[in-house]
Amino acid sequence: MTILSLHHIFKKYSQAPEYAINDVSFDVKEGEILALVGESGSGKTTLLRLIAGLEHPESGSISLSGQVIVEGRESVPAHERQVGMVFQDYALFPHLTILENVKFGLQKFKGDKEKKVRETLLLVGLKEDFNKYPHQLSGGQQQRVALARAMAPNPKIILMDEPFSNLDAMLKDQVREEIRQIIKKTGVTAILVTHDTRDALSTADRIAILHKGYLQQIDIPKMLYEKPVNPYVANFFGKRNEILATPTAEGFYTPFGFIKDKKAGDYKGKVKLLFRPEHAEVVQNDDQQLIGTIFKVSYFGDHQIVKIADEEGKRISIRTNPGRTFEGIEKAFFYLWKYDVEEAF
Amino acid sequence: MEIRKRHYYWWNKWTGYSILIVLVVATPLFTILFKLFDRPGDSWSHIFNNLLFDYFQNTILLLLGVAFFTFLLGVSTAWLVSNYEFPGRKYFEWLLILPLGFPGYIMAYTYVGLLDYAGPFHSFLRNTLDIQVKGSLIDIMNLPGAIFILSITLFPYVFLISRASFAQQSKTLQEASFLLGSNRTKTFFKVALPMARPAIVAGIALASMEVLNDYGTVKYFGVNTFTTGIFRAWFSMGDSSTAIYLAAILMVFVFAILYLESLHRGNRQYSAVNGINKPTARIHLSMVKKVLFTGICFLIFIVSFLTPFLQLLYWVSMTYEKVIDSEFFLLIFRSFGLAAVSGIIIVLFAVVLLYTLRLSPFKWIKSITKVSTLGYAVPGAVIAVGVLIPFLAFDKWIYDSFLSSKTAGLFLSGTLFALVFAYVVRFMAVGYNPVDAGFQKIGIHINEASRLLGTRSTRTLWKIDLPLIKTSLISGILLVFVDVLKELPLTLILRPFNYQTLATKAFDMATNEMIAESANAALIIILTGIIPIIFLNRLIKKREF
Repeated sequence: MTILSLHHIFKKYSQAPEYAINDVSFDVKEGEILALVGESGSGKTTLLRLIAGLEHPESGSISLSGQVIVEGRESVPAHERQVGMVFQDYALFPHLTILENVKFGLQKFKGDKEKKVRETLLLVGLKEDFNKYPHQLSGGQQQRVALARAMAPNPKIILMDEPFSNLDAMLKDQVREEIRQIIKKTGVTAILVTHDTRDALSTADRIAILHKGYLQQIDIPKMLYEKPVNPYVANFFGKRNEILATPTAEGFYTPFGFIKDKKAGDYKGKVKLLFRPEHAEVVQNDDQQLIGTIFKVSYFGDHQIVKIADEEGKRISIRTNPGRTFEGIEKAFFYLWKYDVEEAF
Repeated sequence: MEIRKRHYYWWNKWTGYSILIVLVVATPLFTILFKLFDRPGDSWSHIFNNLLFDYFQNTILLLLGVAFFTFLLGVSTAWLVSNYEFPGRKYFEWLLILPLGFPGYIMAYTYVGLLDYAGPFHSFLRNTLDIQVKGSLIDIMNLPGAIFILSITLFPYVFLISRASFAQQSKTLQEASFLLGSNRTKTFFKVALPMARPAIVAGIALASMEVLNDYGTVKYFGVNTFTTGIFRAWFSMGDSSTAIYLAAILMVFVFAILYLESLHRGNRQYSAVNGINKPTARIHLSMVKKVLFTGICFLIFIVSFLTPFLQLLYWVSMTYEKVIDSEFFLLIFRSFGLAAVSGIIIVLFAVVLLYTLRLSPFKWIKSITKVSTLGYAVPGAVIAVGVLIPFLAFDKWIYDSFLSSKTAGLFLSGTLFALVFAYVVRFMAVGYNPVDAGFQKIGIHINEASRLLGTRSTRTLWKIDLPLIKTSLISGILLVFVDVLKELPLTLILRPFNYQTLATKAFDMATNEMIAESANAALIIILTGIIPIIFLNRLIKKREF
């Protein structure tokens, strides 16, 4: 069931020449975790703030659990929307204790407030230190308090702005998994904003990709990776190689050699072959391969990237396992085990 | 939960209050602007032919002279205390700010007393060295004297701001200069000084504003400037339109200085680009230089603060029995009351204006909010004229329409209300800036978090914002308090008949040959002023300001 839906949202800041949000529409299903992904300036945080009621759109409408909360310039004020938000800097109230922070949103809560606070804090994994002040806690603990504070009033939806950006790399993997589990346990709907594709891939059910205020694609991670609707989305999840090729009935002629493929018969004129570095493999000499000059090998610990150039100097990147050595080798043989074909013109 | 039918989502009660405050506070300034299009008064041609050139010449010479000496005193001392280690360096960091506590007019007549026939220098020459000098030792009651007095009271502005700028210059930058073969002196002229230039210019601009605002010093020394001209036109000639003309010309000076300053600043941001911002390590000196640098700082301190301060103490010890009576306490009570009420109103207004901006951060709201702080650039005498004109008009209207001719009376003009209102207009910026800094420091997310947790904006202000900016509120009130206590020209024009404050009492006594007696009121003003100066110094050192 749809809990949040955005219709044709436009947003422009007065100083900026261009729209920050450009005709964005999408739905979020109840209980789902959606990640809004984009570079800085893509409009992802603006979108989050529009949903929260901290910014107002020029036009468009938003409805939350069946109620219209934004219709053009008319809107429900932020404090009535029942939306929870976890800020990037956590925004904990420094003059209130952990307990008082979490209790702050329970002014209208009917029932045992103290009990509710303790339950929520336990849920996010905090068992003690309830009477400490925010600055006495570690960054990771502060984030849990921020999450507890947002969840305590049972909001209709939780919004998280760059929730993992202040954590160091070691902690990140662990926290991502924990937060996903906490959210899933309560069944609350969540939208998180991030610039890090790994955050999105490991935490979200669906991912929306924004670029310059336009929604590029919204789908499950696998589809975004394998069926990107445009080059921007494709490149967002890592590099994609392009080789120009000429199709014949038997296969493709490329600058690196001939690829046997019956599909080639479907195309006329030049085409582009698109593949990711991990969809090709450097192999020992046999007769089904392509060939190129090794330009550079970069070592990354758990893998290596081999850059291979054709006769004109155009390069592609191929991922190999880190144990391979290329010393003294000038030419490399490789094949593509997976690629997309696009008409070049 | 229901959708609000509002076509302008920026509209709320806060925007309403803010627009009201800005309209009220800006009225005196707009009054001056509008009155400019009136015909000039009868005495205008007299002033134009006989005095205007004098006003121009003296005002400009005063500005240039003070700019030069505040630069010399302020920058040299700032460079010494931020770069070298010498005996007393730690103390000079705040001792050299103390002259700011001296209002110019008190410094002026203290120095006149010091150099007087009965003063300590004369007595020393006469009694110890047996040298007789006729008349004053050095005559300082002239333009160079006014430049001297204003320079030694105002140089701390330049000192403070350039010291902060030197302290913020990155260590790596100066080290790069050393490695490229420049010594300390060359580094100062090629790197540190150019980088600190926007700050130094800002400091000199501040001092220049104070010069234009000064009435007491130039009046006492008999130097005719635009400020004394406004007084003369208003009080002696009773010609308000000429006073406005002079006020308007004075405003041209103010805007010229502000414009030059902003032009100079331009888009240049001479700050370190990246985060390596460690202060430069102080250099240890040879014995000779240690003595020399300590000597320079100490000499400046003696001239600009210690000597006049001790002289005041001496006068107080001679006269306090005669001066301090129940009426004197009433005087203190009144002055402190006025200052406190003005401080509280200003900070209250500042909170409303800045909270509006916080909730609706639109450019036009920011602009109109800024309008409310313009008064600080406007000399007190000009504001006084701007307040009096609409108030007198209002009184006349009430008088004409409701009352018979028998009961002539003042309703707004000549009341404490008019005085406090003028203080609010003049010192809005003084309270506004710390509150602004406070809000900026706690950030907006805390406020947004509270509202998203279902709390209305007003309750959020009380529960979250205000408790967190408490120190800023107090420092805002305190800073206004001190400025109001020192204020002279505006108070002289707007005070109710025969109503005295510490400042006007001190000035009246001094101009009536009761310099020693006036020291009692002066000392209270100075001591009260010193508290926030030390407080301010701490804030700047912690870079919270």
